[in-house]
Amino acid sequence: MSEQLPAPDFDAQNYARPNQNWICGRACEGNACRQGPDAKGRCCATAECKPVLKTQPGETKGRWHCTRPGGECESGPLPDGSCCRPIAKCSPVPTLRVWRGRMTLAVIAASCAVLLVLLGKPPWRNNFISPGEISRAHSGEAFAALAANNLLNQNCGACHVAGNSGPHGMVSAALRAEPGILDLKKLANAPAAGVTAIDGACIKCHVTKTFHQPDAPMISCTYCHAEHQGLVIAATTDANCGFCHGDAARMAVTHADNGGIPVIHHFADDHPQFRFITEKRRDPDTLKFNHALHLTGTTMPKLPGGEKLDCAFCHQPDAAGAFMRPVVFERHCRVCHSLQFDPATPQLTLPHGSAEFVSAFLRSLPKQYADLAAQQKSPDENGFVQQKLAGLRTQFGSGEDLERRVFFSTATFGPEAQIGTVSGGTRALFPGCAYCHEVKTTTAGAPQISAPVMPERWLAPAKFNHAKHTNLACAQCHDAVHSKDTADILLPAMAACVVCHSPRGGVVDACATCHTFHHVALVAR
Amino acid sequence: MIRFRRQLFLGTFALIVATVGALWLHAKFSRALPDYAFLTGWVLFAAMFVLTFFNARKKLPFLPLGKAETWLQIHIYLGFFTVVLFLIHLNFRAPHGWFEVTLAWLFVLVTASGVVGLFFSRTLPRRLATRGGEVIFEKIPALRHMLKTEAENLALGADAKSPIIAEFHTQRLAPFFAGPKNFWLHLAESRRPLNALAAELDDLRRFANDAEREKIGKLAALVRQKDGLDYHRALQLALKLWLFVHIPLTYGLLVFTALHIVLVFGFSGGAR
Repeated sequence: MSEQLPAPDFDAQNYARPNQNWICGRACEGNACRQGPDAKGRCCATAECKPVLKTQPGETKGRWHCTRPGGECESGPLPDGSCCRPIAKCSPVPTLRVWRGRMTLAVIAASCAVLLVLLGKPPWRNNFISPGEISRAHSGEAFAALAANNLLNQNCGACHVAGNSGPHGMVSAALRAEPGILDLKKLANAPAAGVTAIDGACIKCHVTKTFHQPDAPMISCTYCHAEHQGLVIAATTDANCGFCHGDAARMAVTHADNGGIPVIHHFADDHPQFRFITEKRRDPDTLKFNHALHLTGTTMPKLPGGEKLDCAFCHQPDAAGAFMRPVVFERHCRVCHSLQFDPATPQLTLPHGSAEFVSAFLRSLPKQYADLAAQQKSPDENGFVQQKLAGLRTQFGSGEDLERRVFFSTATFGPEAQIGTVSGGTRALFPGCAYCHEVKTTTAGAPQISAPVMPERWLAPAKFNHAKHTNLACAQCHDAVHSKDTADILLPAMAACVVCHSPRGGVVDACATCHTFHHVALVAR
Repeated sequence: MIRFRRQLFLGTFALIVATVGALWLHAKFSRALPDYAFLTGWVLFAAMFVLTFFNARKKLPFLPLGKAETWLQIHIYLGFFTVVLFLIHLNFRAPHGWFEVTLAWLFVLVTASGVVGLFFSRTLPRRLATRGGEVIFEKIPALRHMLKTEAENLALGADAKSPIIAEFHTQRLAPFFAGPKNFWLHLAESRRPLNALAAELDDLRRFANDAEREKIGKLAALVRQKDGLDYHRALQLALKLWLFVHIPLTYGLLVFTALHIVLVFGFSGGAR
């Protein structure tokens, strides 16, 4: 190895040492000492030279000689061998490297101190380490009361085992986590949506949590319900549903018994047609109602106010506007179908709702006419009654005939072919109960009217809100004007929904818009 | 220059390939792996560890760990790739909560200071080379002191005998030579202060006799030297000061990251 020689212009007198931590305090004046400070920043300057003792032949004591660089000084060393020109000590200055090191240590110390302070005080700790706002469902007074009832911690500890512990507990929980901190293999191979320890905390309160299908695989609550996302717990996304419904293999296993359910990715793309259409379901109601006639029939009388009958007269939204109130005869039908059975007496109408009441009413007609005469303050009450009864006898024969025709007759065979006027009148035909209802005869011979079965909601598990669809005309979804048969289910096909609920339509088309994962009853709870 | 361009091309190419690969893996596995965030976190931490080790490498020159130049290139391009890893780890969302926001800001500050440092180290040496010779930063105070003494001798020395120069020195030159001046203006490559002082010296020249003009010429030369010295100091200091942000915050980031690892596992779904 060749000896490294300094460059010809190397100034050994003013050699700078930029890699050292301290520089001479006089360096800024241009006369730094040659020795410089030591590693700890102490000035090493003593004197201008270090005299040496030279003994000439024949001398015993010898003589001290100056060794000052640049030539001996005038005075020379002192008798004790020390230099006569001591150098005043300087205050060495730390280099930028030292300042940087100090700043680094300060930042590390400050970081540790801040973290220890914030982690040491539970109220601060919870706010500091929380990765986001907790939902209302899991915070506030209501949750605190619920947690107290379930003997749970009312803060982070309600869900997290480390939530109620200090730094030691956090480290301990981290080390005991499954998969472990350094268990990269398990982290990479953890089952998707697998149930984890934290689900145990969910079930402490949500004891009745069940899935929408009994054979659905157990998945972690946190897979769909991500916490720390804001005051409202994060909405379930299509990706959550797609975990099963977007996976052909999983769906084939889960629903193998009923032929499998098709894989669904997006509502507009591969969502199957509604079942009531594919299975050609029919409305089982025994009531006979012709939507087309009521909406488009030329013989339809005007409403008392002169308006034309429309959907909104019978189908009125509930208080929330989400669904329609049930159609009620007294409110929606009687305005036209007054059940007047005596052409000459429009004030007298049949009761509705019970075949027994109708029978009782018909069998007490003399009393009904007498009450009517009293109301009208007829001078000859008995004569009034006899006159009315005679009229009925003339038209229907006996009282039994009248009752039979009231119950069983239809349009072609009713108590009266037409009551009131069709054009401009306020009363419609009353051909008989059987015109609208299924009327049977009991073994005792009494008439029995099948109660109409009108479900308040079709597709009950699905979510729907009429109030959000008020920009549409009823007929855009419900093809009532062409429906002549009660058995028609007047719900729209999927294509009508896709027009808007699709990327092209621009309206949200997420699964959760219509579907609920858990059982409806539990959701309501 | 050819070597530098080759390094730039290879580094950029590697960075683009790694970024595309990482984004492809993210698209493929982000939903499929339930503990994806943990995995990306470890990858990010490993990258940060390698980046931090560059500083250790500089302090361990005796170990056969490869050339520092190679480490610097790795540090630069891995630093840029770490930004991609950071965004992937965040799933391209803004962090929430005090701790995570602080951690993210530390990362942003460390990265930003690194980018500033890279910009400085790519541009300032070239500017330094075009303005005077090489000046060792540690010797600048001594050189400045020398110029100051020389100016004082010229203006106030026993043979000066010029009241206008003495007065000008007292009012304008003494503060100028007293210490480093115009740090920000030098960084911005502005010569306005030098030109202003030179113009004042020119004005002074009109009222001076021949002997004084000679001195004023020498003082003007000293002023230019002092300004050049300040320029070198400003640019060399900038080359050193960015590390005052980059390195301390890096260690702060590591402290917060260590706690972050404890917290995410301690509060994970699998914590027991």
